[in-house]
Order: sequence, then C-alpha cells, then structure tokens
Amino acid sequence: MSKLLRELRPVYVVGIGWHRYQNPSDTSYVTLGLTAIRAALADARIEWPVVESTYIGTALLGMAAGRAMLKHLGASGKPLVHIENASASGSAAFRHACIEVASGISDVVLAVGCDKRNPVVRGFTRTGIDNLADDAIVPFTHFALLTNEYATRHRVKPEDIALVAVKNHGNGAKNPNAQRQKARTLEEVLGGKPISGTLTALQCCPVGEGAAAVIVASADAIRRYGIDSSRAIRVASSAAASERPGSASDADATLTRETIQRALHEAQITANDLDVLEIHDAFTIEELLYTEAAGLCPDGAAVHALKAGEFHIGGRCAVSASGGLIAMGHPIGPTGIGQIAEITLQLRREAGPRQQPNARTGLAHMVGLGSVCYAHVLQRDS
Amino acid sequence: MFEAPLPLLKPALYARGERTPVLLGGRCACGHIFFPMQTFGCERCGKFGEALQPMPLRGHGRLRAAATVHVHADEKRPTPFTVGTIALDDGPIIRTLLLDAPPDDAAPGTEVEAVFVEVDTADGSKALDLRFRPVKQ
Repeated sequence: MSKLLRELRPVYVVGIGWHRYQNPSDTSYVTLGLTAIRAALADARIEWPVVESTYIGTALLGMAAGRAMLKHLGASGKPLVHIENASASGSAAFRHACIEVASGISDVVLAVGCDKRNPVVRGFTRTGIDNLADDAIVPFTHFALLTNEYATRHRVKPEDIALVAVKNHGNGAKNPNAQRQKARTLEEVLGGKPISGTLTALQCCPVGEGAAAVIVASADAIRRYGIDSSRAIRVASSAAASERPGSASDADATLTRETIQRALHEAQITANDLDVLEIHDAFTIEELLYTEAAGLCPDGAAVHALKAGEFHIGGRCAVSASGGLIAMGHPIGPTGIGQIAEITLQLRREAGPRQQPNARTGLAHMVGLGSVCYAHVLQRDS
Repeated sequence: MFEAPLPLLKPALYARGERTPVLLGGRCACGHIFFPMQTFGCERCGKFGEALQPMPLRGHGRLRAAATVHVHADEKRPTPFTVGTIALDDGPIIRTLLLDAPPDDAAPGTEVEAVFVEVDTADGSKALDLRFRPVKQ
C-alpha cells in the first residue's frame, strides 16, 4: 500500500545556505552553487563526505551541470541527479531528497538549487500541435489575464492588487539574500513600467541567478554527527500534483488548493495553524489567488486580509516573509529550496528583522509551468 | 480581375465558416471537446487514435478576461497588442489575440466572435490569421 512521507521515518532540515539571488552577472554557476552548499554544510556543522546523495534543482544550466560543480567539494563518488520541473525544480529536488532519507536509503542528503538566466527551449512548444498565439501569451500575460478575471469577479482595483508587491518589497528589504532589497511605496509600484494588463514591473518577479541549499537528515544522522537537534526542523509533509483537465483559467489555483490541502492533511493541521507561508508569488495576483486557495481566507477576501495586515510579518500568517518571488527573486532552480531555507530560518527563530513572532509551522508552495505543484509543511518540535 | 483568396496562416487550426471562421477542434468518444484537434490522446480519458474525431467549433463565445501587453521580447509582435481568454460556445476555453483592445464597456462576459485579419507572413506574403472581437450589437 502506498504511504505518505509522514508515515516513513522522520526527516529534518539540518543545514541551510544561499548564494544571494542577484541580477545576471559573470559569476560562474559553480561559485553560486558552492557558496550555498558550503554555507549549508557550515550551518549543519558537518563535512561534505557525510552527504550521501545530492539532488540538483536546475532548469536553465543545461545537461550535466552538477558534477562539474560538486567535484570542487572533493569528489566523494556519491550519487547525484538533476531535477528539472520548471519553476518547481527546487521544490521537486527537495521532495526527492526527503523521500530518500525517509525511506532509509540515505541518512544525509543535499538538495541544491542553482541557476543562471539562460535561454532554453520550452519542451511543450515541441509537441507538434500548433497553437493560435501562445507566443503572445508569456507567463506575465497569462497572469495579467488572471488579474483581469479576478479583478472583475471580486470587484477589486489594480491598486488593491499592487499592495501585495508593497508588502513583499518591504520584506525583501530586510533579507540580505533577496535580489530586490528596496522597500517600495504603492505609488512606486503602480507608477513603474507597465508590463501586461494592469501588471507593472515591480509586480512581476525578477529572474536572475543564485543558489540555495538545504541538507536533510534522519534522527540517526543527527545523533551520529552531533548535529544540534534544537535547530533541526521536521519536514511534516510533502505533497505534489499536476494539472487535470478543467477550466483553463483557474487551473493554477485549483491545483494549489488540492496540493496544499493534501500537505496540510498529511501534517494533521489546518491553514489556521500556519505561521509562515512562502508562496509562488511570481506575480502579485498569485498571492491573492493562492492565499485563498490555501484556505487562509475565503475566496475574494485576500485583499481585505492583506489590508488588515493579516499577511504581514507580525500578522496572523506572514506570507512571503522572505520577500517572495517578487522581491527575493525567482532564479528558477533555487527558488523552491530557498523557500524551505527561509521557513527553516523562521521556525528556528533566526530570521532577525523579518522574524515572524513565535513561528512554529510553515508551508512552502511552488507552481511550475505545465502545471505542476508542490507543498511542504515544516514544523518545529516545540 | 479575379483575385485568389488569401491563404490561411494556420490552416491546421481554423477554416472559413458560414458566418464566422470555425476552429478545428476535436471530440473524444467520452464526450470531451478540445482544441486544437490532435490524436495523441484524450486529456480527460486517455483514449487515442480514432476515438478522437475532428469537430469544427463555432468561432463564437464569451470573453472571460483581456489584457493589453506593453512589453514583449519577440519583435515580430510589436506592442501594444491585446489578448483574451475566451470560453467558446462549444466548451473549450482558449486564449488568443483580440482584434483591438476592448473598449471599457467590453467587460468579461462580452459576446465575442472570430474574424480573419490580413497579416504578413515570414516570407513577406499576405495571409489570413484569426482574431476575436466583440460582436456588434
């Protein structure tokens, strides 16, 4: 019979690290990745040879980028695999690292996301089935259409939707790993470069470069290597799904609703238990759609909750305390792993000026083109 | 002087219809209606091959959303242009180009229809491509 992650042996996040997300530069991806991995090893206070297996979330580096990076840690001969799942590549790498530990196959596993902005062919454009004008509907236009639909259905204004960006830029200003670290006023967000529909530049995530790394371990490994168990954060659940046929226009929200519900159910909690939520807010509208889909508020009520401060740091549930994709950035492969690292930081109460008070439970959510969806719940023991 | 009618830019996707252009969709034996036509397999039930039969879809539906695009990397599509999400009367929801930015009163829910417009092809000749526009009352 099939099992949930929670029914296998416990998995803990024991080490986290980043290379700051940044605008495209001449920095080698090797430097980006190694910086994050070495930070995660130092955070866990373990040495590289202890790591038994590596999952590399990357969508833009091209074939076989991983060993050329990992070998500079001392080629340990351990297995590695690349995971491409569009925007959710890092989330997928993390899930499979967790499964490897939970199953008992390995005790210490690294999930690392690393990417640089490179043009890649999107496989789904090569199906051989023609389309009317898909080239005209790039992701920001997909979300501009959803913005228009949401604004009409719930009678909200562009300036209401833009408040998501004001909050998330404010959070990003407190995050040294964020690509955008500047607080923005509503006027700055609305007055920025128009992109598509009512979306302006500061309401769209920047795709740059960077890396994030997370080390997961079993309880056995925590004892064996003397890892500080008070800083180990339990992975309480892992859920993954892909789109089913239905209404094309609310596919991402429907998929999110189902995936987050499964993750909450597996963790034996409800949305009301979430203290921090890192969500796939690549565009402002997504945070509204997905906080509703997560069950944090009724459909159409996200703007109200946002205005009431419920999703700010210090509010009921801090949404995108890292700055989210909008401010922290969305380098693709690293993004989902960076979310796990941010939640770990929050649950350890080590998030400094962006700390959500008394954070005990957090959820990370990503959507990848296709669409695919991931949700992970992390929980501190006390 | 007789002028040959312009060719269609994407004849696998649409055809001339009686009143408006039709979209070349398909219908599965399970009843699922989809666009465009394909025989790889049904997204709802997985049947493939002859279970999937061509079905012309009326070029008529309701606008669900519209967005005018201001930034676009591909120079072959100069901005601004407007795209829409359209629920076709026959079921499928499609997204494609609108003829013009809808006027302020063309809110989601507006009745729209397909029309052909003359466009330049890659080799510099002319062809007809599909757009949607609000139905004139």
